[in-house]
Amino acid sequence: MMEFDSTHLWMHFWAIATAATVSAGCALVGSFLVVRRLSLLGDAISHAVLPGIVLAVLAGGRPGGAGVFLGAVVAALVTVWLTNLLGTHAGLAEDAGAGVAFTTLFAIGVVLVSALASRVDIDPGCVLYGILELVPFDTVPIFGLEVPRALLAAATVLVVLVVAAALCWKELVFTAFDPAAARAAGLPVGLVSAGLLVATSLATVASFEAVGAILVVAMLAVPAAAAELLVRRFHRMLVVAVALGVAGSIVGYLAAWRFNTNAAGMIAVVLGIEYLLAALLAPGDGIVARVVSRESLRWRVACEDRLASLWRAEEGDAAALAPRTLLDRLAQARLVFGGRIVPGAAGGLTDIGREEARVIVRSHRLWEAWLGRHVALPLDHLHPPAEWIEHHLGAEVRGRIAADLEGDEGDPHGRDIPPEGFPSRPADAPTQ
Amino acid sequence: MSTTSAGLEFHDVTVAYGRRPVLWNVDLTVPGACLFGIIGPNGAGKSTLLKAALGLVPLAGGEVRILGAPLEQVRSRVGYVPQRESVDWDFPVTVTDVVLMGTYARLGWLRRPGPRERSLAAECLDRVGLADVADRQIGRLSGGQQQRVFLARALAQQADVYFLDEPMAGVDARSQERIFRVLSDLRAEGRLVVIVHHDLRSVAEWFDAVALIDMRLVATGPVAEVLTPENLRRTYAGRLDVLDEIGRAVAEGGRTP
Repeated sequence: MMEFDSTHLWMHFWAIATAATVSAGCALVGSFLVVRRLSLLGDAISHAVLPGIVLAVLAGGRPGGAGVFLGAVVAALVTVWLTNLLGTHAGLAEDAGAGVAFTTLFAIGVVLVSALASRVDIDPGCVLYGILELVPFDTVPIFGLEVPRALLAAATVLVVLVVAAALCWKELVFTAFDPAAARAAGLPVGLVSAGLLVATSLATVASFEAVGAILVVAMLAVPAAAAELLVRRFHRMLVVAVALGVAGSIVGYLAAWRFNTNAAGMIAVVLGIEYLLAALLAPGDGIVARVVSRESLRWRVACEDRLASLWRAEEGDAAALAPRTLLDRLAQARLVFGGRIVPGAAGGLTDIGREEARVIVRSHRLWEAWLGRHVALPLDHLHPPAEWIEHHLGAEVRGRIAADLEGDEGDPHGRDIPPEGFPSRPADAPTQ
Repeated sequence: MSTTSAGLEFHDVTVAYGRRPVLWNVDLTVPGACLFGIIGPNGAGKSTLLKAALGLVPLAGGEVRILGAPLEQVRSRVGYVPQRESVDWDFPVTVTDVVLMGTYARLGWLRRPGPRERSLAAECLDRVGLADVADRQIGRLSGGQQQRVFLARALAQQADVYFLDEPMAGVDARSQERIFRVLSDLRAEGRLVVIVHHDLRSVAEWFDAVALIDMRLVATGPVAEVLTPENLRRTYAGRLDVLDEIGRAVAEGGRTP
């Protein structure tokens, strides 16, 4: 818990710098895990490293020291080895094997921490949630500056991860996308995969002190998953993931400071909000984009149906249906405003409106005729599909259909298919 | 044996998953420079035979030689087109990114693809008719286009022997035609193309020679000699229950009834 105290701004700066550095490393590794659909492996490793850390501390290692990193990496590799062992020899499915291996190792870690509390300086609560707020108090001098030990460890790990990713970029990407082809091409797929495991455990251990075993999973998976929604190239995904992770750490820490709550928890909440926003706003596949696309199609269909109905009335088949639903009325108003329909109660088509309506009716009857010729469908079943497809036919395909139907003058109901519009006509019915 | 001119040789190859044999004692020689089909029913072990040749599954017995040498010595001369469903097509890479992967092994560690590799990739994409989608994300392609991306990646490897696993599965007629043309060109350039295939109708039209497989080699040779009603019956209708039963007994360490 933090107090709002401006005399300790320096402390807050160090805590934020640590959180951002840790988060950047996690987002980098997490991106590889997410595209390999291995996010849960990050979860497994972040838990399984605990006994390794405890034993390393017991053996005299300092939190954040090299010995602890070694212990954690060994524990992580043991987890993966155990998972494979359970899979191949005990016949457990891979996810079940991982579930058994990492929970058991984590439990051993918890038991060790509790049993050896007097000899190991690890707080069980800190294992779960981290102690970001206390990070600035454990410092080492660097060029006369007191730098938090955790930041130093996290920064070292980040540099190692960035250098490794840059050097092995080709191998990492090929292996992640298509391991079988990479192996067939002679790439050291096993080595690269093992390297990713080591990188995951390094990123996890670097984060342990600051954010704990549970919230590090959020840092690994969430920014990367959000970035995957936003961009289509892997190298951009890495940059966006790191940016989201760093931004989430800064905003989360400041929010925790403002609301006087746990910083690591707040950071994870902010990361979750970032993901939610990405899912909502992603271009193309985002929820908002999909709703907009669906509704704009409904709107276009309503307008086009209105025009076609008036055209058919002019043709003399039937009286035009009055607009009934709210959408119909809005479409009518839009068409009047746009100069497609004459204002007033009678409300016939204007010249422009007639051109556009004719194209829609042409599309409708062309499709009925095409279905009648190529698909075994009873005559009374032709109208509904044409009502749908008429909104999606463009000029080129209409031309191809007309050429295919050459000789047939009318639609299967015996009505004329109106001719194509003049080239100078302003707006064609757009295709999607 | 090492001085033979054959493209691909299986010498008494047996493959097992766990302890259970799924391919029994395949002894097969494929000449160089031809379109060679591996044909057989579902579960016959066609893909397994391909993966055994590529070292992707371990051999329980026997030996594979490619271009007269063990795989390790000729790996850079071997190209592989896996089944399309074997990868995640939502992976955030473009078509060109995937084709460039074909140049990675030749580049070696630390070197990045440069202008030479990029122009090679563009050339390979042109060959399979995908030049206009070079910058598209791979998830936005049709099945036939995705399969052609894989083929372009293998072409970028500039290999001498190509292995393709069901390249026509879920592929539209136009893509299929295009793929077969590219493969025929490879043969004309003197390369060996080995294809796991399931559609008997196109075999006579495109392939030079085939092997009929159903857990064991049924017959092999030129298409006209091998695709006889008798051989097809032995491959497709004559599932040898005895191999299944023995396989199960071997896996369980027991004895057949």
